[in-house]
Amino acid sequence: MNTTSDSAAPAASEHAVRTDDLWKIYPQDPRPVEAVRGVDLAVAPGEFVVMAGPSGSGKTTVLNLLGGLTRPSRGKVWVEGREISALPDRVLAQVRLSRIGFVFQSYNLLPVLTALENAEFTLLLQGVPAAKRRRRVRRLFDRIGLEGIEDRRPRKLSGGQQQRVAVARAVLGEPALVLADEPTANLDSATADALLDVMEQLNRDNGTTFVFSTHDPRVMERASRLIRLVDGRVAEEIVSGGAG
Amino acid sequence: MIRFPTLAWLALRNLGREMRRSALTAAAMTLGLALLILSRTLADGAHEDWIDSGVRLASGHVSFNAPGYRDSESLDDRLTAGQVEVTLAAAAATVPTSSTGPTITTVRVATRGLASSADGALPALIVGVDPASELAFSELGAEPADGRYLQEGDRLQAFIGAGMAARLGLRTGSRMVLTAQVASGEIAGQLVRVAGTYRTGLDELDEALVHIPLPVARSWLGVEGATSVSMVLPHSTLTDPVLAGARATLEGSGIEVVGWPETARELYSAVRIDDAGDWVFHLILFAIVTLAILNAVFISVLHRKRELGLLRALGLSGAETGLVVFVEGVLLTVASGFVGVALGFALVWVFFRNGLDLTDMMPADITFGGIVFNPVMHPAIELRHLVQSVALTTVIGLSASLYPAWHAARLDPAESVKVE
Ligand SMILES: Nc1ncnc2c1ncn2[C@@H]1O[C@H](COP(=O)(O)OP(=O)(O)OP(=O)(O)O)[C@@H](O)[C@H]1O
Ligand SMILES: [Mg+2]
Repeated sequence: MNTTSDSAAPAASEHAVRTDDLWKIYPQDPRPVEAVRGVDLAVAPGEFVVMAGPSGSGKTTVLNLLGGLTRPSRGKVWVEGREISALPDRVLAQVRLSRIGFVFQSYNLLPVLTALENAEFTLLLQGVPAAKRRRRVRRLFDRIGLEGIEDRRPRKLSGGQQQRVAVARAVLGEPALVLADEPTANLDSATADALLDVMEQLNRDNGTTFVFSTHDPRVMERASRLIRLVDGRVAEEIVSGGAG
Repeated sequence: MIRFPTLAWLALRNLGREMRRSALTAAAMTLGLALLILSRTLADGAHEDWIDSGVRLASGHVSFNAPGYRDSESLDDRLTAGQVEVTLAAAAATVPTSSTGPTITTVRVATRGLASSADGALPALIVGVDPASELAFSELGAEPADGRYLQEGDRLQAFIGAGMAARLGLRTGSRMVLTAQVASGEIAGQLVRVAGTYRTGLDELDEALVHIPLPVARSWLGVEGATSVSMVLPHSTLTDPVLAGARATLEGSGIEVVGWPETARELYSAVRIDDAGDWVFHLILFAIVTLAILNAVFISVLHRKRELGLLRALGLSGAETGLVVFVEGVLLTVASGFVGVALGFALVWVFFRNGLDLTDMMPADITFGGIVFNPVMHPAIELRHLVQSVALTTVIGLSASLYPAWHAARLDPAESVKVE
């Protein structure tokens, strides 16, 4: 497994996220659905991990488990060494706020807020003062080509812009990891490439850890590590020499 | 909760976006409350009207008599002259000071007897009255059907109902004889002349009630005191405090103090029954408004499952997500509630300040509970209506928002973010 060795922290917290024999079973008639079946995973800080697999293989479920959005039926999840699977709702929400960034396939933004307000929402909840929030959002917007759209509502943004605002929001809170579930699925290939460039750039320059899922072979090429899921299990892991 | 301002801000923004739905919901709330206030003020106004006209023809809001008098209605159970003095002093002491209208106190000697003329005889309720205070008290003589009311200095005059006049073949100026058992136990007659007639529309009064001057009644019946002293208050709600005050003052004096609910039982039950009917109507209206709001808030939750899931992913707990929805609902109801309350009062003021005239919609002379139904309804606009409405608004807001908020708090975040 790909771990960094120059850290003085204890071993468990060397991972941005780690799982042990993770299962998710949905009770259902006639038979329970075993969406995730014993996944062991460890992601080091700064990795750029892509999860691939056919539809229904459990990608979304794994990401939700990693982010504490859903609870495992069995097994454990550690975020920066902290076991989150048994935390009460309030505490888990606090972990999501401060340590996890989510980016979904689409409709990531709160429609009542402007692009800027959406991007700074995590910071707002974290209690960062307004001036500081604005400064950080504007600086990031400038870096990822969103300058000038600050006051627009999501409705008036292109799909690519919306996704970039979502990525901006996810990374601004300086989380341990950003979980992105097929963030490019609704974008044309040029826009998808641009979004991936942004994510790579943030990964490279800020050391932000990304774990995301995709169907797109061209997205998989960008991964520092590619994890193939089949039927809720890790079928294959390919480590490339790229970033991370 | 440190993040409450942020959550409230988000709730406000959400309301702003859902302008049309918010406006519709607000309209339902506004309309419901306006209707409620309209009906409440009109009903209370009507009830006050009934009570006022009812007690004026009976024993007032508060009445003083000797114990046992209300059962026996006998001259034996009367207040002595000394007790009348004490009673008048007590009544004067309890007159409400802060209220708007006048308080009228009247002294009466009443007995049951017979009224007869050449044409025949009728059972009569003969009341010796002080013309000046009685005129203001019962208002019987305010608009005589014929002739005039009793006056200061009248001796052998009587003021009778039009029904009695018709049945006994009497007119203004005619002579008639009143017969009753006097204090000594003997039967004695008193010759009087008809000064005028009244018409209330209540047959049991118009054929039976006779007013004669108090001094005449006293000397004829051999009585020095009175059978009752009665007070009409500016408003029926003053009954209880005045009653309590008078009872405290007259403690141990052997004088009984009773309120109109006891002296006018029929009227009291009529008001209570009508009130109960109103409450049923109000409860239904209340339920409809609450359900309409609940429905609107709940639908807004169902429509925003995805968004609420997103909030969870961004780091809000279930409880906080529920709180956003709750604040939205409460803001919506409270804001529209206040508009509704204001509109309700404005409607009442603009359209019904001078009364709602139902004369054309109902048959003439509907009577019940010892009063004639007044076809013109006057709304009563009182502070308690405002307090009630505000309380009601709050209750509606809270009860209509709680369930949707609870539902929102319990949404599964992973399921919610799946919804497109
Ligand atoms: N709430 C649920 N109840 C029952 N089964 C579920 C539930 N959510 C997911 N599943 C099942 O779990 C399995 C994994 O679903 P998941 O959404 O994680 O797959 P995925 O790899 O993300 O698929 P896709 O590429 O289509 O997004 C599927 O068989 C799905 O039907
Ligand atoms: Mg999926």
